[in-house]
Amino acid sequence: MTRLYLSNDTSARAAGADRLAQAWAHVPDVELVRTSSRGAFFLEPLVERDRPGGRMAWPNAKPEDLPNILAWVGGTPVDDIPFLADQRRATFENFGITRPLSLEEYQRRGGLKGLERAVSLAPDAIVQELKRSQLRGRGGAAFPVWTKWQVAKDQAAEQKYVVANADEGDAGTYCDRMIMEGEPFRLIEGMLICAKAIGATRGYIYCRQEYPAAAQTLREALTIAERAGLLAVEGIPVHLDVFLGAGSYVCGEETALLESLEGRRGVVRAKPPYPALSGLYEKPTIVSNVLTFATVPSILARGGAWHASLGTDQSRGTMTLQVGGRVKQPGLVEIPFGATLAEVIERFGGGMAPGARFKAVQVGGPLGSLFPASGLDIPICYDAFARAGAILGHGGIVVYDDATDMLDLARHFMAFTADESCGKCTPCRIGSVRGREILEQLQAGRGRSGDLDLLADLSETMKAASLCALGQRAPYPVLTAIEHFPGEFRKN
Amino acid sequence: MSKPALAVLLTRHPRKPPNILQTLLEVQASLGFVPADALPEIARSLDVTEADVAGVLSYYPDLRTARTGRHLIRVCLGESCMANHGAKVLDRLRAHLKIEVGETTRDGRVTLERTYCVGTCPVGPSLVVDGDVIGRVRPDQIPALLEEYQ
Ligand SMILES: Cc1cc2nc3c(=O)[nH]c(=O)nc-3n(C[C@H](O)[C@H](O)[C@H](O)COP(=O)(O)O)c2cc1C
Ligand code: FES
Repeated sequence: MTRLYLSNDTSARAAGADRLAQAWAHVPDVELVRTSSRGAFFLEPLVERDRPGGRMAWPNAKPEDLPNILAWVGGTPVDDIPFLADQRRATFENFGITRPLSLEEYQRRGGLKGLERAVSLAPDAIVQELKRSQLRGRGGAAFPVWTKWQVAKDQAAEQKYVVANADEGDAGTYCDRMIMEGEPFRLIEGMLICAKAIGATRGYIYCRQEYPAAAQTLREALTIAERAGLLAVEGIPVHLDVFLGAGSYVCGEETALLESLEGRRGVVRAKPPYPALSGLYEKPTIVSNVLTFATVPSILARGGAWHASLGTDQSRGTMTLQVGGRVKQPGLVEIPFGATLAEVIERFGGGMAPGARFKAVQVGGPLGSLFPASGLDIPICYDAFARAGAILGHGGIVVYDDATDMLDLARHFMAFTADESCGKCTPCRIGSVRGREILEQLQAGRGRSGDLDLLADLSETMKAASLCALGQRAPYPVLTAIEHFPGEFRKN
Repeated sequence: MSKPALAVLLTRHPRKPPNILQTLLEVQASLGFVPADALPEIARSLDVTEADVAGVLSYYPDLRTARTGRHLIRVCLGESCMANHGAKVLDRLRAHLKIEVGETTRDGRVTLERTYCVGTCPVGPSLVVDGDVIGRVRPDQIPALLEEYQ
């Protein structure tokens, strides 16, 4: 029996993995094991086969490649793929190797060690370990994780909650989806450690509706974990449930998310109070990103000092980047903070896709700034980006080619904000609509003098007076587009 | 839907405290949409006002008040797919189906929608047809692809 490995990740399936699975389903003596994905999506569907010393890989496999694979013809050792070999995987170290729903394989590769350690520690000691790690939230705001846990831990409340933010709204990002589909037990382990630290007995994973496979995998993983007796802390059951969103970007904002979890319109709440004090049903609640929770098990297992030893002064640990757009090698890149944007695009992205010429790159999702070719030597870390008025966000890196119309892109950004504004504050609700209208007029050749000044004024108001980062950050991609490509906004 | 069937649905997963959004998602999961005439009963089952239910229903883009066509095609207009010129895929679909985003073909065959990212960015541009994600879509594949969905 020959065992072959093929990813079951949605991206691999969208690239044709299921076609291979169907074609080879009835081939005698071939067993096809569906795993998570390595994240080297430009190579998917990627078929692997065991060999002493490490797996062999057949990239971009087609059904008719099976005879070659069985005869060991044309493969490459996985360890020789530079895109993977040059990374420093921690949270994603098992990706592409294990079966997502095998608790046994998860444990064999070090899973549940963090939880075991946490169980042996007092809540204070767990929070101290996180403090030592200097882990900052990976959902976008980069807030120190331990301070939130400390606040929630110190509350005396009969009910506390732990909530995973799986809304992953930033277009161009998918690392949360990969975790939920590929190693759901890691997320569950991180949430249980948090539950133990703060004393929560209930938790929710708020998963965007666009991720049906992630929600399904998580539900199955929760059932398996329950049967294995994992969903308890010191004998007290911890109930975890998956909740689905319904297509609203602003529901990724933590207070809007809580409103939505309670079943209402996902409208942003004024802060303070912060959720750690008063969150779901006004109870102390930790809302953290999926990747943040998934980073916690390794911190407990290997120690906070290990995490703090990676990265740069203000940005410790690894950064999970999702390099995409018009690069040759789109995929997931986990490396310590500190490499420059140029290095990441060249070394991992492999430069531009055939025939494409670089125009600009956007970092940090739809609220992230655009960088021109001259701005790429910025190091990937929170402080350098903050100094540049930019954000790393959830690690999305989208490269645009020179066929991209910047005026149209700017209009797209404003239209997106206008669509997604929750409507609670005026600067965001009205500002985004006016901004979109101005750009539409320019596009239609009906621009008037002073339009760009008006847009700049409007942007300042949105930045200063909006209630949440949606309105506060929405002007940045538009303003950086105008700053770096002014000629395209003077067409009329 | 018949009154008793809706009642069964509404009592199947009693949630405490009652949750409007999840209830509407459950109704939609079984009917394909949330019929306007179901609002009073939904409101009653949750012990909230009809206005509360209507407010939630109108807020979320993915809650629908009308049936879709036999096939639902969603085109990704997230930034990564935009960078990969996914807008051309959308243009091709609009031209071929002769409908705009948000519309259904006259024969009820296809509803066309846009979405902002389905998480398959590295194999974009992405399309979701009846829940299946199709990656690396080229505009010139559209006519053949549509043939498969009658
Ligand atoms: C408009 C908006 C959308 C957001 N979307 C997300 C999201 O999709 N996922 C996420 O984890 N955080 C999102 N955030 C950040 C959350 O408000 C919050 O900071 C985060 O969930 C905290 O988790 P962390 O500390 O692990 O980063 C968003 C914020 C804003 C203002
Ligand atoms: S931007 Fe289209 S799938 Fe992410």
